[in-house]
Amino acid sequence: MSTLVHGRHQLAQPGFAAALHSERIKLTSIRSTWWTLASLLLIGVGGTVLLCALNAEWLASPEADEAPGSFITGGLMLSPVCAVILGTLAVSSEYGTGMMRSTLAATPVRGRVLVAKAVVVAAILFVVGTVTALLGYVGGNYFLDREGIGLALEGDVARSMYGYGLFMAGLGLLSVAVAFILRHTALALSLVLALVFVLNNLVLLIPGETGQWVTKLMPSNAGMVIATPVPFNPFLLDAWPSFGVFAAEVAALLLVAWAVLRRRDA
Amino acid sequence: MTTTHGPALGIRARGLTKTFGSKTAVNGIDFAVEPGRVTGFLGPNGAGKSTTMRMILGLDAPTSGQVKVNGHHYASSPVPLREIGALLEAHAVHPGRSARDHLRWLAASNGIPTTRVGEVLELVGLDSVAGQRAGRFSLGMGQRLGIAAAMLGDPSVLVLDEPVNGLDPEGIRWVRTFARQLADEGRTVFVSSHLMTEMALMADHLIVIGQGTILADCSMQDFMADHARSFVRVKTGDVGAAAEILAANGLDVGRHHGASGPELHVQGLDAARIGELLGRHGVLLHELTLVSSSLEDAFMTLTADSVEYSAHGQARQEAGVR
Repeated sequence: MSTLVHGRHQLAQPGFAAALHSERIKLTSIRSTWWTLASLLLIGVGGTVLLCALNAEWLASPEADEAPGSFITGGLMLSPVCAVILGTLAVSSEYGTGMMRSTLAATPVRGRVLVAKAVVVAAILFVVGTVTALLGYVGGNYFLDREGIGLALEGDVARSMYGYGLFMAGLGLLSVAVAFILRHTALALSLVLALVFVLNNLVLLIPGETGQWVTKLMPSNAGMVIATPVPFNPFLLDAWPSFGVFAAEVAALLLVAWAVLRRRDA
Repeated sequence: MTTTHGPALGIRARGLTKTFGSKTAVNGIDFAVEPGRVTGFLGPNGAGKSTTMRMILGLDAPTSGQVKVNGHHYASSPVPLREIGALLEAHAVHPGRSARDHLRWLAASNGIPTTRVGEVLELVGLDSVAGQRAGRFSLGMGQRLGIAAAMLGDPSVLVLDEPVNGLDPEGIRWVRTFARQLADEGRTVFVSSHLMTEMALMADHLIVIGQGTILADCSMQDFMADHARSFVRVKTGDVGAAAEILAANGLDVGRHHGASGPELHVQGLDAARIGELLGRHGVLLHELTLVSSSLEDAFMTLTADSVEYSAHGQARQEAGVR
């Protein structure tokens, strides 16, 4: 057996940067992260390009009742699944394996663990989301251009590019929060996916003004406005107020997650 | 190892209690785990060992009482992994992450230089498989990875929960030697197990827990002397007469039914003298054997007294006869 003690290096008290570094290594050292991000990119770019290619001619024709801007981030509808999976697994896989105990023993300041995870997940999803939107724009606009209805990368179109990144990051954060609260992969995934993809449409069935408001305020409805130059759904709020609602909802969930993480036994 | 000498090194628990709903897992226990020796934490499954260890690490909050590490609560450690290295569960690693990456994130969380990762991998003999995904590891390799993780911060206190679980004999011996070496370096080593025989070989000091209370807290020798029982088995054609003679001489005699008929279990005199005594009275002996019960038996006796009320009689009898 080799020697046990290789000189006790003097160690500085680790702070938030150490937790951030640690979480970055965790997220980037498993393959599923890269598969999930690659899927997000492929589905997002592929979906947008396909939608634009198939609809360009119709959009340029007089009978079109939709704006080309609705299509230039069309892949948006499916790739959120990937953001949800990434955010959920970043937390729930640690609970599933029991690794969370190692994490919290190494970083007893639990809030730091939550914030570090949140920052890493949000940052990576913002970057990949924005790149996805830009590639989708480049590919989709090629077909729109051919019909003479191309869009310049400015104003609402430009905003929808990083808006797409913001929406993905927000969904990732929402998933991180729910996974911390539920501590179970299948439970957290199904709940968030239902909230983001099913409930947001079901609430349209609520009659009258209540239904309209609930629809406006559902997280994925509120979050997606900023990622579309022209929203599909005309009942929604304007881009930034809508994003404000979404951000507040995500922040509230993160606060609940922080409270239960601090209080509960690991 | 250079150790800062302070009054409160090691682990100290006072009135430590943990209840889960109506069930009391740990019931107001006091104990101290001193540096420089291996302290065994022994108890049947469900006795409260893991709960106690989680409270030491600040993972579970005590319902009442407290436990301090090197004089303060673990959560306030400036560099937590330098304070305690812990092995809580084998395979508490993401199956898709390599052994090296598992240690890398752990090291990064405490600002430990990455060079230390290579050192601990070499230390536990996993350097050749460091790039493999941990999901492919055997239980033994998983335990070694867990011990490597515990050693990352070069900690003064080690808390190892069932470190020999699932290991082959070579692995068990490795853990034993390793624990011994760490204690010899002046570290505090706290090892839990439900395997009594393993503890006898590894630990200098023993804390026995049953149903959340401390049943014994003493050196291994004292434990053996206090709890291990030895007796002389006597077989003879006339058990009744022999029993009368022995009892008349003030010896503790028990009648039992062994595999080959009745036998006496005698305590209070060594085998040679018992033989002489019976010989003088003309009793013809068929068998005269000294039977020492092992640590396992001692443990059974101890926990049977305070744990399993329903199995009380049977456990005692087995412990005595075996």
